[in-house]
Amino acid sequence: MVITPIHYIVVPLIAAFAIPLLSKIHKELFRIVPGIVMFYNIIISFVLMKEVNEVGYISEIIAGWEAPWGINLMITPFSGFLASLISVLGFLIWLYQYRFKKVIDVDEIKSYGILQMMMITGAIGIIITGDIFNLFVFMEIVAITAVSLTSFYRGRDGAEAGFKYLLIGGFASALILLAILILYTQVGTLNMAEIAEKMHTIPLGIKSTILILFIVGFGIEAEMFPLNGWAPDAYSQAPGPTSAAFAGIVVKAGIYGLIRVIYTLFDIEGAFDFLIIAGLVTMIIAEFSAVKQKNLKRMLAYSSIGQMGLVLIAFGIGTKTAVFAALFLMFNHAIIKSLLFMTGSILMYNSKDKTISSIHGIAKNLPFVSIMFAIGAFAIVGLPPFSGFWSKLYVLTAAADKEMIMLIIAILGVSIVEIVYYFRVVNKLYFATDIEHLDIFKPSNNSLIAMGILTITIIVIGFYPDLITGYLHNAADILLDRSSYIDFVLKANVPIQ
Amino acid sequence: MNIFFLIILIFFSGAILSFIINRIAPKFSGITTFVTIAVVSFLFFTQVEINSITQFSLGGIQMQFGVNNYTYIFAILVLGLSLLASLFSIKYMQDNDRLGYFYSNFILSIAGMVGIIFSRDFISFFIFWEIMTWSSYLIVIYDGARSSRSGLKYMIFSAIGAYAMLTAIVSIKGSYGTFIISEAIENGAFNFTDHIYIPIMLLVGFAVKAALMPLHVWAPNAYSKSPMSFTAIFSGAMSKMGILGMGLVLASVYSHSTDENAFNVLILRQILGWLGGITAVMATIYALIQTDAKKLLAYSSVAQLGYIIVGLSTGTKLGVMAALFLAIIHAVFKGALFMVAGAVERQVGTTDMTKISGLIRKMPFTFFTALVSIIALAGIPPLGGFVGKWMLYEALITESNNYFLVIVIFFSSTAAFMYSYRFLFGLFLGQEEKEIEHVKEAPVTMIIPMVILALILIVTGVYPGILFEPIAQGMQYLGYSDVNWDMSVLVNVWGEESNMAYINLTIGVVFVVIFIFLTLKNLKGTRYVGTKDISTSGEIPTENENLTFQLDFFKPFQRAAAPLYKRSMDKIWNDLGNALEAIFDFTRRIYTGNGQTYALFVIIFLVILLIFKNTLFTN
Amino acid sequence: MEDLGLKIFGAILTTILGFTVGMTYGGIVRKLTARVQNRYGPPFYQNFLDLLKLQVKKTNIAHGFMGHMAPVWIIIAAVTVLLFIPILNGNLWFPNMSFHGDLIFLLYMMVFGSLGMALGAGQSGNPNSAIGVSRGLSQMVGFEIPFVLSLVALMIQYETTSVQELTQIQHETGVWNAISNPFAFLAALFASLGMFRYSPFDIVGAPAELASGPVSEFGGKYLGTMMSGGAIFAFIKLTLYVHLFLGGAGNPDNTGIIATLLGLGVLLIKTFTLYMVPVFYGWINPRYRTEQAIQYFWRWPTALGIIGVIWAVYS
Repeated sequence: MVITPIHYIVVPLIAAFAIPLLSKIHKELFRIVPGIVMFYNIIISFVLMKEVNEVGYISEIIAGWEAPWGINLMITPFSGFLASLISVLGFLIWLYQYRFKKVIDVDEIKSYGILQMMMITGAIGIIITGDIFNLFVFMEIVAITAVSLTSFYRGRDGAEAGFKYLLIGGFASALILLAILILYTQVGTLNMAEIAEKMHTIPLGIKSTILILFIVGFGIEAEMFPLNGWAPDAYSQAPGPTSAAFAGIVVKAGIYGLIRVIYTLFDIEGAFDFLIIAGLVTMIIAEFSAVKQKNLKRMLAYSSIGQMGLVLIAFGIGTKTAVFAALFLMFNHAIIKSLLFMTGSILMYNSKDKTISSIHGIAKNLPFVSIMFAIGAFAIVGLPPFSGFWSKLYVLTAAADKEMIMLIIAILGVSIVEIVYYFRVVNKLYFATDIEHLDIFKPSNNSLIAMGILTITIIVIGFYPDLITGYLHNAADILLDRSSYIDFVLKANVPIQ
Repeated sequence: MNIFFLIILIFFSGAILSFIINRIAPKFSGITTFVTIAVVSFLFFTQVEINSITQFSLGGIQMQFGVNNYTYIFAILVLGLSLLASLFSIKYMQDNDRLGYFYSNFILSIAGMVGIIFSRDFISFFIFWEIMTWSSYLIVIYDGARSSRSGLKYMIFSAIGAYAMLTAIVSIKGSYGTFIISEAIENGAFNFTDHIYIPIMLLVGFAVKAALMPLHVWAPNAYSKSPMSFTAIFSGAMSKMGILGMGLVLASVYSHSTDENAFNVLILRQILGWLGGITAVMATIYALIQTDAKKLLAYSSVAQLGYIIVGLSTGTKLGVMAALFLAIIHAVFKGALFMVAGAVERQVGTTDMTKISGLIRKMPFTFFTALVSIIALAGIPPLGGFVGKWMLYEALITESNNYFLVIVIFFSSTAAFMYSYRFLFGLFLGQEEKEIEHVKEAPVTMIIPMVILALILIVTGVYPGILFEPIAQGMQYLGYSDVNWDMSVLVNVWGEESNMAYINLTIGVVFVVIFIFLTLKNLKGTRYVGTKDISTSGEIPTENENLTFQLDFFKPFQRAAAPLYKRSMDKIWNDLGNALEAIFDFTRRIYTGNGQTYALFVIIFLVILLIFKNTLFTN
Repeated sequence: MEDLGLKIFGAILTTILGFTVGMTYGGIVRKLTARVQNRYGPPFYQNFLDLLKLQVKKTNIAHGFMGHMAPVWIIIAAVTVLLFIPILNGNLWFPNMSFHGDLIFLLYMMVFGSLGMALGAGQSGNPNSAIGVSRGLSQMVGFEIPFVLSLVALMIQYETTSVQELTQIQHETGVWNAISNPFAFLAALFASLGMFRYSPFDIVGAPAELASGPVSEFGGKYLGTMMSGGAIFAFIKLTLYVHLFLGGAGNPDNTGIIATLLGLGVLLIKTFTLYMVPVFYGWINPRYRTEQAIQYFWRWPTALGIIGVIWAVYS
């Protein structure tokens, strides 16, 4: 069987329907099948990435309708990279949560595995689709599953967080849909390549309105300030693996949407500057807010928002180095923040009231989890020789190339704030001794393996970043090359009539 | 395999190994560390060729490893001191737990320093700098909850410094297109006319490690809270990495600025010199009111670094030479003194000078080390410390036109006699109380490194030329031509000299004559008595009467210098920190937790964007 | 070899000279003070008698190694410094080695002896000794400031750090440094008040009280040795001042016996006059507390020193 991009979508969908049936055979299949699907995703990614590095683009046409009339799935080094990242993370998150919720009864697990899988499918769908309406559909899949996962724990807090997410997510859907509608009235097509080609025909006023609608819509998913009110609640109330998935996967999809719109669809002045400013404000406010948090997962959530601000800044700088740096940042954020959420939720699981002060000195009881949390913290603040350092360095280099000295100072100033709150936690984790921990919940072996893989990745990339910089450079080149994207979808792939 | 990579590899594997070995046999963790450093030192001094360069690329960035004459000075310092400190550490740390954690970070921090010495490009420099920083941070917080605040303070200040440095580094890349240090210098990154902030940012970064006012506030606590075997390196060698950087930057600025006497260069000199001077004074007067010997030494380190920076700021041959000489000598005597404090801590259990006194008879070798080191620290002839001080004063008086700075430095080093005496008296002299009756001399593996350092001080007092040779070569690398030196004669630009060999000979002859004469003469009649047998105007002190004078030792001075004690940099920084915390708390409240507010945010944002869309976006 | 022999002879001669002069001056001051206070007072040679008595004492008490070493250190420092300052300008009889050590060296070398004494006093375990040392060190920080200011003023005014040079310059120009830079001289004069530790700056030794101050635990030969060292130091300080500010003594062009004796006479007159300054000041002043003493030095003397430096820069 030839592996094509459609497998990303179809296999999980089939599996989602099949799981309830399969579970009649054996209860354990509830948990195992999503894992198999995730693993298959990784295989798809490997095959496609290998192929795309040779040919440059893969486009698959669904249901025989050629672009621009039908829906096409695009794998470029850029989208392929993100799709692979999400696939691998998806699998690791599955590995981490497998048996994590053993204590909870099977009925809930049923939906949990499926929801998680569908969320990842939606995120991959957003990234590989070439059709803007299709993108909207996938976004909805992600939003719905994400909301259900947020309120997975049936309690007051979970419901509240889920409701907030639903409310704000509703705005996002509405605004994106509105933007697509207006866009369709103007250019009469939903294919992104064709929209991009015809973009110059739209008058500026309408063009900027559409862009603003898109920015606000995707900005909500990408956690841009002030649209990110839902995020801290959702992150902190969702189950641990879901928080990791939010940070590693959902946000990436939101950012992808924003970037695809700004970089490929529109050719408009000021959008890049806007990204820098929005990113800067997001980063500063989020990191400042993180310092005073008492709940560890909330703190991580704010930190995650801050990192997204940095990604937006990098994309806003817009040079080749900057895009490369932004992608590197996304990669790092995905692996590091997932690790932090994974370890953090195990730590939180052992605290009575979910606060940082109730896990003082827990490192004695949970040595491996704590050291991995510490490494994650070291990496996320950008200390060498961990992977986080390189991405930060490239962002700064890109900013320096444009002589944006104040921006550099702002980024690094915020990094100091980051150090303050992360190291405070690490300090307390190891050296506070005021609490005795008796009833310790130890992570299962598969969780440890999942976290271990992430930790090793962080260290290896830190020592030898060349492992992935090649891919990232390709991806950055492609993203910046707007015309070749259009050409490929519309000309090369379309049979001459 | 390339020798540079091999050394780094040995370090990293040594770090991992000492961590693992601790699980199996905690005793051997320290020995592993010592062996690792010994092997590296051996490799370094036999295999590494000066001025050889290894090129490689990492993450798409060109990097270079190599050693030049200038960094070689620091290599001697770092490796020599680390070797002795790790030997000292074996017994000193013996009974502690989490030795694997300690020793792996110990090795990593030395690896960081050696890496800095190897780096010929800014990126690997920065990477190793950060490795050094966080590994030392982890050692500072080794002691647990008691030191976690100091640790965090250290980390925050280091981060400020490191990020200032990083800003400069990426700006160099942005403006001059290279990360290689020598190329950047050639391309004019340090010409001090355009991009004036680049050298300044770099200096700020280095100044944090060199504990320069006002960025020094982390140092006293961090130095005194770490285990002493590490503080010997921390204060002795790691702070010198800041000096290494400052020396390089300043020399480049002086020699590459468009006009050496340009106004801004002069300002830079003045500011640096005065900051160094004020650092020295403030740290000194705080050192002399400390009651904990470790803290006293920590403040004293800050003060000594102030002198070194003053020397560097002059930029003259003699001044820079004095600074580099002081840097090495400071590493030696402060390493020795921290080891002394460590030995006392291990044998007695505390270094609080109000609790112990009169150790001289119990720990004679430790006292010998302490005495020699203190004489060097105070700059009293004929030891190595005097040589550095002499050159520094002569440089300031003869070449810098900065006469009031001389007074500031002189004030500080006169006041330094006070804490020097306080240290010796507090630990070793005074009443022998019952509490210390059980105390014994430290184990021999702790004595050996201390005594070696003391002997180095004596030898460098007679033949400072041993150190002048590498320093002169290093200065030639920095761009100073015709650096003259003599084995034991110090000369200033006016032609006056201090002949150390001659001075030592005189002192030696007089000493021998008088000592023999007096000893022979006094031998018969001398009766040695205990410290309770003292003249107290006829009142005989009872057994339990406390005759120890240790509290508020310099109260009169404190009263006299009260205005100086009023202002404290700590307080200013704390206020700043509190203000920032208030800001953080305020921003936190933006996220009200109310869904309606968030929805409102979205709408307002959308509306604002739509209103301003024409200014935001254009074709 | 002949040269070396001459030098050794000269060194011994110098030491004896310094010792004798210092002791005699001390005795004279005791006598004068007594007369001023309307007492009869001891004879001027009383110090020698005291020393003799101390030296012939049969038992000496020491509290340990540092206690034994302290007098040795003082003597070493005293003799070494004595050998490194010019006694008579350019006179071969006195082996002046100041070519091999300049003012900065002398400044630091003078502390060497104090450190030894402080350590010896410390080991005795007598709290009074430690208190004395603490006061002494504090007071030293006080008077060193104006003293160093005045020295820096001289050094930059004449661009030399050598005592020999400074004397020679005064000899050649015929103008005393006390006149060419009066402010520096005044600052140094004030500093000398603290240096000699006469009232009002005598809280260190606190001679009016019984058995206190750093030397309270020393007796017998140890005290005797320390007294000799102290006497030599007094001579050193006076001679140094004379050579720095008061035109020095001796004629380098004429080193005959008569000229040498004449030079010595000049030296004695100048040093004695100088010595009377702290003594006179002490007669008319009560004792300062340590902090008052420190603050005293940090006010006018320091201001004068600063003016002296500025004077030196612009002259």
